[in-house]
Amino acid sequence: MAEPVLASPHAESKRPFLTEQRRSRFTAYTFISPFFILFSIFGLYPIFFTFYLSFFKWDALGPMKYVGFKNYDLITSDPTFWISFSNTLIMGLMGTVPQVFLALLLAVLLHSGMTRFKKTFRILYFMPNITSIVAVTLVFSTLFGNNGMINWLLNGIGVESMAFNSGWWGVKIAISTMVMWRWTGYNAILFLSGLQSIPMDLYESARIDGANRRQQLFSITLPLLKPFIIFVTLQSTIGALQLFTEPYVFLGQSGTGSTRQEGITMVTYLYSEAFRNGFFGTAAATAVLLFLVTILFSVLNMLISRSGSRETGGKKA
Amino acid sequence: MKKVKNLALTLVSIMLMSSLAACGGNNNGGNKAAEGNTGNNAASTNAPATEGANTEPAEKVELSFWTLGNVNYEELATEYTKEHPNVTIKVQNTGDQTAHHNNLTTALSAGSGAPDIFQLEIGFMERFLGAQDKFYNLNDLGAKDIQANYLDWKWKQASSIDGSFQLGLPTDIGPTVVYYRTDLAEAAGLPSDPEGFSAAIDTWDKFATVAKAFKEKTGKYFSDLTDLTYNALRDQSADEIYFSKADGTFIGDTNPQVKKAYDFTVKGIQEGWISNVMLWSPEWGQGMNDGSFAVVMGPAWMAGNIKSNAPDSSGKWKIAQLPEGAGNWGGSFITLPKEGKHPKEAYDFIQWLVNKDNQLESFKTKGLMPSIPALYEDPAFVDFKDDFFGGQQTAVEFGKAANRVKPVYYGPLHDQTDTFFKNALKNVLEKKADPAKEWEDAVKQSKTLAERG
Repeated sequence: MAEPVLASPHAESKRPFLTEQRRSRFTAYTFISPFFILFSIFGLYPIFFTFYLSFFKWDALGPMKYVGFKNYDLITSDPTFWISFSNTLIMGLMGTVPQVFLALLLAVLLHSGMTRFKKTFRILYFMPNITSIVAVTLVFSTLFGNNGMINWLLNGIGVESMAFNSGWWGVKIAISTMVMWRWTGYNAILFLSGLQSIPMDLYESARIDGANRRQQLFSITLPLLKPFIIFVTLQSTIGALQLFTEPYVFLGQSGTGSTRQEGITMVTYLYSEAFRNGFFGTAAATAVLLFLVTILFSVLNMLISRSGSRETGGKKA
Repeated sequence: MKKVKNLALTLVSIMLMSSLAACGGNNNGGNKAAEGNTGNNAASTNAPATEGANTEPAEKVELSFWTLGNVNYEELATEYTKEHPNVTIKVQNTGDQTAHHNNLTTALSAGSGAPDIFQLEIGFMERFLGAQDKFYNLNDLGAKDIQANYLDWKWKQASSIDGSFQLGLPTDIGPTVVYYRTDLAEAAGLPSDPEGFSAAIDTWDKFATVAKAFKEKTGKYFSDLTDLTYNALRDQSADEIYFSKADGTFIGDTNPQVKKAYDFTVKGIQEGWISNVMLWSPEWGQGMNDGSFAVVMGPAWMAGNIKSNAPDSSGKWKIAQLPEGAGNWGGSFITLPKEGKHPKEAYDFIQWLVNKDNQLESFKTKGLMPSIPALYEDPAFVDFKDDFFGGQQTAVEFGKAANRVKPVYYGPLHDQTDTFFKNALKNVLEKKADPAKEWEDAVKQSKTLAERG
């Protein structure tokens, strides 16, 4: 590829500027440019503007005033922010961990038995995910109301009513149930496609070697499903950190409706800073902190999964 | 052949790009209106309006109008359109005042999407009064000529300190009264006529005693909910509530009236005469209809809500005076955001909308209390009898309350700060929390919030 440096510039300029190669390159770049243009307008610019904004005091109407790191100070010294942080983590754990197990179980069930209505089940699994979150939340709000169906059932089995819209645990249980309902089926479908990519002859030879179902599950299915498990976990973690619509609709008043911020998440905190209180600077600072937390968790996820895959990689070799 | 194909593809992609870019680019409101106009005019016989002729008086004008809450402005707008066929008014109504004002904030800061006409609630006034470059100065459009018609304090709420900038025209005011069920009052042996009922509860101490006795006698709640009980006392503050008029600092913890309102509501909770329902919830409306509580303390505009919530109880309600004076809750202003391209037509409409006749009309249908004092002596206003309130001359009671109002300063964070105190009371009611500790928490939260202001 190294062109001789001596090549005279005159020789270059004699050739027409739009060579066949350049032209086709230009066409190619033009074709993919809408994405990059739109991304830089609606993605990149807001991201950098958020960083910039987090050092200013701004009410969205008047002029911006530079305040340095004061916004970060204000947020980190606000107990409500830390409540939103721990709520996000707690609801994230409550909503994702059981969900991934449940999805895996559903996928295995669907993959092994029940071959008859496989397609119907796949559609049923996927339905919750494409239903509007707002509609879902409204339905769940009636279920979890003070005199709702869940409390009626609880009373039926002799358990006292739970304050799902104002109790510390109640709110969290209600919201993570909504999250679970929405994502379990979706993840089960992902797992199912993973299961279907495992060659059947592996199971056959295992059976010939005398492996029972449990051994097949732990030695073939789970190790080969690992990339899918990692993907689903990572995706759910990021999703959990961005939890917004469920608490926003369920609790009312811009998601701050519960009296002691039982259900406030980092994003609802951000939202109410910006759009309820009109403090766009502190909201931007919250967004930056949320960004850092998300990166932290993604890296953690990757580290854990990498150490895991090295282990299995060693075994395979 | 290949060249031609390549060229065609390039052209197509460029077109695609530019059309996408146009979506994000400035979509001028005037053009949009012009497009709509040509569409309208095409149907009629006249030639379509030519571009750039926006100021022609006969030209068709489309105005968007964001209204808030239970008002009759949509009906009035239809009436206006009949007299001014060249004006079309698109009304969009919202029930949630926080969302209503946030939508405007977002639109104003983005520079697009704001309506031509906006109904601004007094609780949010401070936030927008500082953004004068985003609104038309109504004084430039002739507001000075009609200023004398309106209550002075109401007018000044929407003026800059020196009075040179006028943000909005006054609509209704919200003097607070007691709405009560006569059937329940009779059942508990209380006087059922407004004078007698007002006299029986003319101090807050007497109110509490009556409430407690009522609960014991009938087993029903006396007051509907914590928020409205608290509001009734809170709004009787002198000059300011949570924030200082002089320098905007938080003073809610030292304002004796705020503490009094809090303690009184706590007393009601502890003595069991305040019902546990949420404001604006279906249970609240149901309770009004079924008579599960005796009183609703609210401003004049609450009449509209009671009528729509409790149609079955028509004739069983009456209006009495609050103990120890009235407060003013709400009342709005009609403003013109600067994005609007037809300020003249918009101003003509809004000054018509809030004139004497229409304020009277809004009062009759929705109970919106006029901000034109001349109406208070007008027989058309005073003699109006409301069947829903047992044929009572409601205007007399509202007028009495309006004369007892002492205007207060709110400050830009009033709404949010108020929520902290309301939440504290809810915790006391629902979680049996310690009132003193809840008070401290609310004060602490308010101070944290105020630091950012």
